[in-house]
Amino acid sequence: MLIVEDERTLALEIEAFLKKASYICDFARNAEQALEQIGINSYDFVLLDLGLPDQDGLVVLQEAKKCNPDAAYIILTARGRLEDRIKGLDLGADDYLAKPFSLLELQSRMQAIARRKFGFNVDLIAFGDFKMDLQKRLVWHQQNEIELSRKEFDLLSYLLLHKNRPLTRMQLSEHIWGNLADDDFDSNYIDAHIKNVRKKLGAFAHTDWLETMRGVGYKIRI
Amino acid sequence: MKLLTKLTVFIALSKLAIVALFVMLLPYLVEGIASGYTNYYLKQQKQKVLQITKAKGIDFYLQGDDSYGSYTMLKEEYIALEQTQYPLQKDTIETAKRVVENDTLSYRILKHSFKSDSKNYLLEIGKTTNSINQYNHSLQRIALFVLMGLIALTIIVDLVFTRIFLRPLGLIIKQKLVDQKFPFSKPLEPIKTSTYDFKYLDSVISNLMLQINVAFEKEREFTANASHELLTPISILQTKIENMMIEAGLENKNHQQLAEMMRTVNRLKKIVNSLLLISRIENKQFDKKDNVLLNDLIGEVMEELDHRLAEKSLAFTIQLSYHSPIKKLNHDLIFQLFYNLINNAIRYNKPNGEIIICDTLKNGIYTVMVKDSGYGISEADLPYIFNRFTRVNKTEVAGNGLGLAIVKSIADYHHLALTVNSEENVGTTFSVIFK
Repeated sequence: MLIVEDERTLALEIEAFLKKASYICDFARNAEQALEQIGINSYDFVLLDLGLPDQDGLVVLQEAKKCNPDAAYIILTARGRLEDRIKGLDLGADDYLAKPFSLLELQSRMQAIARRKFGFNVDLIAFGDFKMDLQKRLVWHQQNEIELSRKEFDLLSYLLLHKNRPLTRMQLSEHIWGNLADDDFDSNYIDAHIKNVRKKLGAFAHTDWLETMRGVGYKIRI
Repeated sequence: MKLLTKLTVFIALSKLAIVALFVMLLPYLVEGIASGYTNYYLKQQKQKVLQITKAKGIDFYLQGDDSYGSYTMLKEEYIALEQTQYPLQKDTIETAKRVVENDTLSYRILKHSFKSDSKNYLLEIGKTTNSINQYNHSLQRIALFVLMGLIALTIIVDLVFTRIFLRPLGLIIKQKLVDQKFPFSKPLEPIKTSTYDFKYLDSVISNLMLQINVAFEKEREFTANASHELLTPISILQTKIENMMIEAGLENKNHQQLAEMMRTVNRLKKIVNSLLLISRIENKQFDKKDNVLLNDLIGEVMEELDHRLAEKSLAFTIQLSYHSPIKKLNHDLIFQLFYNLINNAIRYNKPNGEIIICDTLKNGIYTVMVKDSGYGISEADLPYIFNRFTRVNKTEVAGNGLGLAIVKSIADYHHLALTVNSEENVGTTFSVIFK
């Protein structure tokens, strides 16, 4: 994976996070370095900040696509730069994130791209006595299909992706409502959703693995 | 009232007043002139008579008689000379009746007494008042017509010139002030005029507008740059906290602290993003090419907000009767506008309250109203609700104070008008007016 970001501290934080998910990261601080690196190595992922000091990130994207068309490109934009976002996706970027972004969200997007683009299928994720199919968006207990609402499924899969990590209510609501999430407003709603998930799944087996962290949020411990 | 109108009315009225005054004075004037002239004429005649008596003796008239009298054919004038026993008196001119050949006529009479050959004589010269006043009427009429003509002419000249003189002022108002929307985008060209006052006024106005533009531009730049520059440090903070959160060996207490920090960073993020959005709108970085069907758009908004309605048990009604798309809008911005309005309607509503969205179409003006049954806004606070960082609602519900500022800039950007009606503890209605 290549991280193209001129802000060194930020690049290091991204690397520290992705390393835990077993990604090997290279850095480039400007367009010139980025194109050089892409020319030499073949990356699975390129995280590209559009606001580079020497050149427009969109130009880098175009060039990079030529010599490394198979990599997945995720562009980082300043929020609201709608036209950049649209141009980036038109130029073949696989996804975009608006700065400031959540690392958890980044990993979730990368996982989605991996599934979509590289056919990287984690057949079924097992948790507790349950199984989840991300492709078909289904949850089973043995042969019983458990019906979850879209948002309930999103919450559960997000918690699963980041299993054994505490997720705050805010991080969860931001995943569900994105830009429009409102911390004070929506954390109750997250609680209500989690309660529903527990109820629906609890009808089949215990749900001890879904822990409430007082004053913080939730964690799936497996 | 416009200055030109005022001047026009003033000119017309003052001229009319002059005409009226003159018309009132005219008979007296004409009479005065006529009688003055008659007096002068009678005195001339007297001088003539006296000269003749001096040169040729009084007998030239009397021819031995005691008295002499003569009158013109139509008895318009007469002269009478007779001996008198009265002492000499000063000359008098008076109007009196005289009988001339059985006709009693009113005369203007000059009486003069003089001594000749140690006898006193009285000379009377008379002119009928009819003949004096016979031209008065027509004179008056002619004077009136001439006057009216002159007045009309001066009124026209005055109006034409006032118009010409005031034209630059009208131009200043029309080009620089009327329909000026801030920021002033029209180029500020100096108005052509030779009047110093207008030149000065024009240059001062242009200057002020330019200064406001510059100040506004600076603020806009500052907001854009500052918020943009803040994004990177906030990103670093957020990622650092997220990385710390997943570190092994932390206790719940640490997690709580980190969660608090995350919330604070998130607040900062929201403020910066809102400011960025406002500055991008002000910098016109959004297309206005979408056709928006409000019914659908509000449906999209409600998809995001439904759960908040449920949480407060609010009743939500949408009654839009106008179902054709509105052109030349930016879908995302209009979404944000209604999102913020409806979100506020939820946020500042009372539990079990209601929200109604309805519309009216009158004279081609389409208005959409967002009504809530919430806490309302006090009259004193109403003028400030669209200002940045103004949070007038003293409720415990916190916002960042930018929601309505965003609504305002989106409305301005699309040339939509916004009005608010609010009654404390009854509710608030925001109207978005599409023209």
